[in-house]
Formats: sequence, C-alpha cells, structure tokens
Amino acid sequence: MDLSILFGWAFLVPLLPALAFVIIGVLGKHLGRFEHGGWIAVLLSGAAMVLGVLIAVGEMLNPNSYTDVSYTWFHVGASGPFANGVSFVVGTLVDPISALMLIVVTVVGFLVMLYSVGYMHHDEGLPRYYALLSLFLTAMLGVVLSDNLLEFFLFWELVGVCSYFLIGFYWRKPSASSAAKEAFLVTRIGDVMFLLGIFIYFSVYAMTGPNGGWAANGFLFVHGSTSFIPIGAPGSSTLLTVAGLMLLGGAAGKSAQFPLDVWLPDAMEGPTTVSALIHAATMVAAGVYLLVVGSIFLGGYTSTVLFAIVAVGGFTTFYAATMAVVNTDIKRVIAYSTISQLGYMVLAVGAGFAMVGLYQLFTHAFFKALLFLAAGAIIHTIVTQDLFRMGGLAKKMRYTSIAFLIGALALSGIPPFAGFWSKDDVLASVYSQLGAHPEYWPFFILAFVTVFLTAYYIFRVYFLAFSGERTRDASLPAAHEVPWVMLVPMMVLAGFAVVAGLFVFVPSFGSLFTGIPGLATNVPPSYGPTDLLLSAISVTLAGAGILLAWVLWGNGRVYELRASSPAHSIRNLLLARYHVKAAYDWVGMVGMYTVARAADFFDRFVIDGAVKGFERSFRSMSDGMRRIQTGLVSDYAAYVVAGVIAVFVLLLFVAPYLASLFGGG
Amino acid sequence: MTTLAITGFLALSFALFAIAIFGILTRRNFILLLVSLEIGMNAAILNFVYFAALAPVNAGSTSGLSGQSIAVVLIGFAATEIAVGLAIVLALNRSKGSINVADSTTLRN
Repeated sequence: MDLSILFGWAFLVPLLPALAFVIIGVLGKHLGRFEHGGWIAVLLSGAAMVLGVLIAVGEMLNPNSYTDVSYTWFHVGASGPFANGVSFVVGTLVDPISALMLIVVTVVGFLVMLYSVGYMHHDEGLPRYYALLSLFLTAMLGVVLSDNLLEFFLFWELVGVCSYFLIGFYWRKPSASSAAKEAFLVTRIGDVMFLLGIFIYFSVYAMTGPNGGWAANGFLFVHGSTSFIPIGAPGSSTLLTVAGLMLLGGAAGKSAQFPLDVWLPDAMEGPTTVSALIHAATMVAAGVYLLVVGSIFLGGYTSTVLFAIVAVGGFTTFYAATMAVVNTDIKRVIAYSTISQLGYMVLAVGAGFAMVGLYQLFTHAFFKALLFLAAGAIIHTIVTQDLFRMGGLAKKMRYTSIAFLIGALALSGIPPFAGFWSKDDVLASVYSQLGAHPEYWPFFILAFVTVFLTAYYIFRVYFLAFSGERTRDASLPAAHEVPWVMLVPMMVLAGFAVVAGLFVFVPSFGSLFTGIPGLATNVPPSYGPTDLLLSAISVTLAGAGILLAWVLWGNGRVYELRASSPAHSIRNLLLARYHVKAAYDWVGMVGMYTVARAADFFDRFVIDGAVKGFERSFRSMSDGMRRIQTGLVSDYAAYVVAGVIAVFVLLLFVAPYLASLFGGG
Repeated sequence: MTTLAITGFLALSFALFAIAIFGILTRRNFILLLVSLEIGMNAAILNFVYFAALAPVNAGSTSGLSGQSIAVVLIGFAATEIAVGLAIVLALNRSKGSINVADSTTLRN
C-alpha cells in the first residue's frame, strides 16, 4: 500500500488531539470514569501517533517528496507596492523534516499521555490537565506541519500559551504561578524578536522570494527555491543579518539558550510529565526546529548570524552543564541538562549542519523524556525532588533504575546508546568547520569539555538516587515500583534511547536527513579517521566523568563542603546561576522601575494635570454661570430687560458710532 | 391730532411700561406679577391704537384699521394669557401652598 495518499490528510494529525481538547474541555466534569478525560486523551493522541508515524513511514518510502496542501486563508487587496495584494495561506507541508518531527512529537506525546494516567492519578483538576496537554500536542503538531512562516508563528505562540498554563498547573503554589509568568515573559522577548524577524524577511522576500515572492503566496515554505536574494547581494546582507539575529532570538527564547535560559529551570514547577513532553522533548526543541527551518526555507544565514548561533549554542552548552553539576533538585539537574543539550543542537545548526542538529534533537527527545519520566517515577513514590534525601532506590525500583541508567548512558554519549551517535556527529561536524572558521575553536572546546560534565552530573544524579542501602531521609514514604501504566512508556522510551541513534544507518530512515536540497548534511556520520579519534576522546571523557561520579557519590554518602574552601564559593555561584537571574531582577526592579516611575510621574502630573486643569477651569466657569441661575422669575425678567436694553443701546448708539468710525453704511 | 398730543400719549405708554417693568422686577406675588404684565401689554396695545389713529382713513384703504384690529386681537391674547397665568397660580398654590414666586425656584436644581 502506498502511504503517500496519507500526505494530504496530514491535517488530521493535529486535529485528533484538538478533538480531545474540545471533548475534555467541554465534558471534563462528567468524565470521571475515563480518568477525568485521561483515557480520551490517550486514545486520540494514540490515533494521532498511528497516523503521524504512518505519514513518516510514507515519507521514508517516498524519499525526497514534498507534499504541500494549502488553502488561501485571506487576501489583502492591492496597496502600496503590492499591485496584486498580499495572500495568506494555511496548510500542511509533509517533507523529511516534518516527518522526523512527527515521529518525535506523536510518539513522545502519546507515551507521556499514557504515563500521565498513572502519574497524575491523585491530582486535582485533571480535565484541565488533559485538555491543555492535548491542546499543546495540537499546537506542536501545527508548528511541525506548518507550510508557511505565519502559520508557524501562530502555532508557536499557542505552544507558548500551553506551556504557560501547564507550568502553572499547580497554581495554588505561588512559586508555580510565578514560574509560569516568568516562562511566558522571557519567551515573549524571543517571540517579539521572532515577529520582527518575520517582518524583515517579508520586506526582503515579498517580491523576490520563492514562487514569485511572499506577497503572492504568504510566507510559503518551498523546498529547493533558488529565487532568494543571494546573501552576498548588495543591500541584502545587513537586513538578512538583522533578520537572522532576530530569528536566533526567537529560537533562544523557546529553546532556553543564553541569555534567555532563565525560565526553563524554574519551569520545573509544573508536573514532571509536562517537563518531559514540553520542556525536554518537544517545545524547547521548536527553537532548534525554527533555526533549521530558517536555514532551509529562508535563504540561509549570513556568516555573522552563523557565528552568533555557534557562540550562543556553544556557550550555553557549557554554561548550563556547569550549573547542573551542583544542583540537588533532580528535575532541575535534568532541566539544565536539557538547556545544555539544546546548546549542542544550536551549535550544529550554526556550524552549517542543520540536519545534524535535528539528529541530536531526535535522539535527545527520547532519552531526555525517559530521564524525566524516571525522575517522575521517583517523585511519584517518595514525594521529594531533593537528591540528598533520596538513595538506595535501585533495590525498590528496579525497572525505574534500569530505565534511568539507560537514559543516563544515552545522555553521556556511551556507545551504542542514542546520544553517542548524535552528539559525536555534532562534535565532528563542528570540528570539520574549524579549518575554515578558526573563530569556532573556543566553542568547540567548550562543547567538548561539556561531554565530561554531562557524564559527571547525570551519573551523580544516578548514584545519589539509586545507590546505597536505603533512603537517607527516613521520614520519606517507602519507595515502591510504579504501576505498569507508567513503566510501559519508560520501557518504550528506553528502547528508543538504545536504538534511536542507529536508525539513521537504515537507508530509508536516513533519507529523511539527506532529502533536503541544497543543505550540507553529515548524517549518518561518515566516520573518517579524525572522527574516530574524536569519538575515542569524547567516550574517554564521558567515561572519566562517570568514574568521577562513581568515586565521589558511588557509595551513597553525601558530603558537606567546608564553608572556607574555594569549591564552596564556586558551588554557591553556580547555585545562584551566575547571578544571571539576579541581574534580570535588577534590570526589572531598578532599571524598569525607574523608567516606570518617571512614566508614572509624567502621566500623573503632566497628562493628568492637563486634563484636570482643563476640567477645573470648566468647573469654575460653570460655577460662575450657576450663580446667576437663581430660579427666581423676577431675576430672569431682569435679564430679559437688561438684554433688550443692551440690544437697543447697540443698535441706536454703538452701531452708528462704529459705522461713522469705519466710514461706511 | 397734534404732535404735542402724540408726545403726550407716547409718554403715557412709556410711563405705563415703566410701571409694568418695575412691578415685574420687584413684585414677589404671582398675581401682582400678572397684573404688572397686563399693564405692560396694555402700554403696547395703546401704541397700536395711537398710530392707527394717525393714519388717514380713506375710502378703500384699510391701513388705519389694521392697527386697531391688532389691538383687539392683542386684548384677546391678554385674556388668554391671564387665563393660563391664573391656572398656573392655582396649580402652584396647590403644590407649594404659596403663590410667592421666591418659593418656587426648584427649576434651578
């Protein structure tokens, strides 16, 4: 059977979770028997997964096919330079990258939905949870399947809103609702930049973009279009540089790259399932996906932008990993790890290998979701996120510990687990550019050092949580293995975490990475002699990290650093997140507050003062008028008499005098 | 009629009108106000009559009669005005218990 007939029906994939959103949103209170809508969400996201994976398989079996189904959404009439008006379209584009993302989003989405049935069982407000998670899936699938930049942006914003609502799911906790606000506001900075980028791209490509320009087809994504203004063309490169930097800003906001990274660790206030789906596997990857979309459909980036992307990605990789090293909150460590891994993806895109970034995105989605779900299993049974209070869980939670171990090995980059292949591909790709771009060296070294840090911090978590005889805090509830509904998703993800990196060696799957015209690709990795050497070094570093973690934490004991030691102050600096958050607070509290006070003064005394003065003058005037309104008829009669006398005086004396003065009749 | 006579008649009208204005401005009793109004109005009616008497009355000309007929019409108007005015006085007396205009200033607020 030819699965390509499904390409035209791709719009159904986001519509299935949307249906779940509507059903649960409307009937939520009456769905108690279906786990408050949970089973409906599982069913419909499962259907979306089946359809999505079938479409992806169809794309693999029909390599390099691009199926665009689009309809005119609205048309703006002729104005200014647009003699034929401007059209806006809405539609779906099934191509190699959207097929790849379909697999990630639908599979992880379905598994997290299934896991939620167990994890969220005891919580309140479940209809809200399942409705919003379904809406999130819809929005994310919309981002993935969008065939034009405007539609992409709309779904991108919808994803952000769902993230906001789900981070603040436990809204009674002040920390959760403030984390939700923080996430929304910080990503908003990026979103505004993204929007500005769209404006600039439109101004450049309105007439000369693909298929006769964006004015005619509404920001349409067209594969292999050569009608972009070449980057070297006079006058184009400054605008394109600014637009590319704006796009990078948008991606940095969504993907939590420095300096817009502060929201992601705090976003861990949401349920762990939300962290797994939104803040590890899918939404935060949307920023990387945006950068990939930019390299494919927006005519590529100028060299300045590429260097900025490399710098942001490379620096964030290292910067976030250092903070993960000392944190004692299991979810926050994994959140920093996510920021760090996203940095690898951004780094790869900046080095010119967008598909390598997507490769890392693909493998990372599975093992990071796995790590979150395993952490969620721990939190579910012993109700703490503090690593120093855990310990000895391997005996009680055998399957969870194995799942976490597989995820940790994949994250560390130990062969043959998934992370090894993609991370080494990132490093090898960046390395291959060092000859042409020596300015990439520092970021390459940072990324390389991070391999060691990554292995150390994730195995520190592993040993702190799972090794030892018993939990260090005896007051915690007794640990026990979690129910099957939570174990099955972890097992499936563990399977992916083992083999997902190897998929690219299957030719039909690999075609997803090679099917983009005009894009350098290094997937699957070529493995020349240099690459093998790099791999050997990175695996050695990872092994050293694991060994160090085992030496320090393997016996299940915890240490307290002496307050005088330099390590103690470094640890405090890292726990304070390099004071970046404090800097943001300072900007907000001191900088913005001063501006706000000045604006308040202006508003209060200048604008309000003018209005009030105007009002006061009228009031005093009307007070004067009011005084002659006595209500006494005699007074009115007197006014009439006075008026008549005045008219006579004017007519008989003043008018003739004026006439004689100006010499005329 | 001589010029002197006209001047005398006009002086009478002016005096009547001045008395009327004085009464309107100073009286507080509604009925006295109405009386003053009537005096003022009669001053005007008298003027119509004087000037109609001045105009020559020829065969086929009605110019002298028009002033006199208007005077008759105005007397009718004055009667209706008094009727309306007295109705107001009665209504005022019923609602306020007084026909002093200084007590009826509620239109102001």
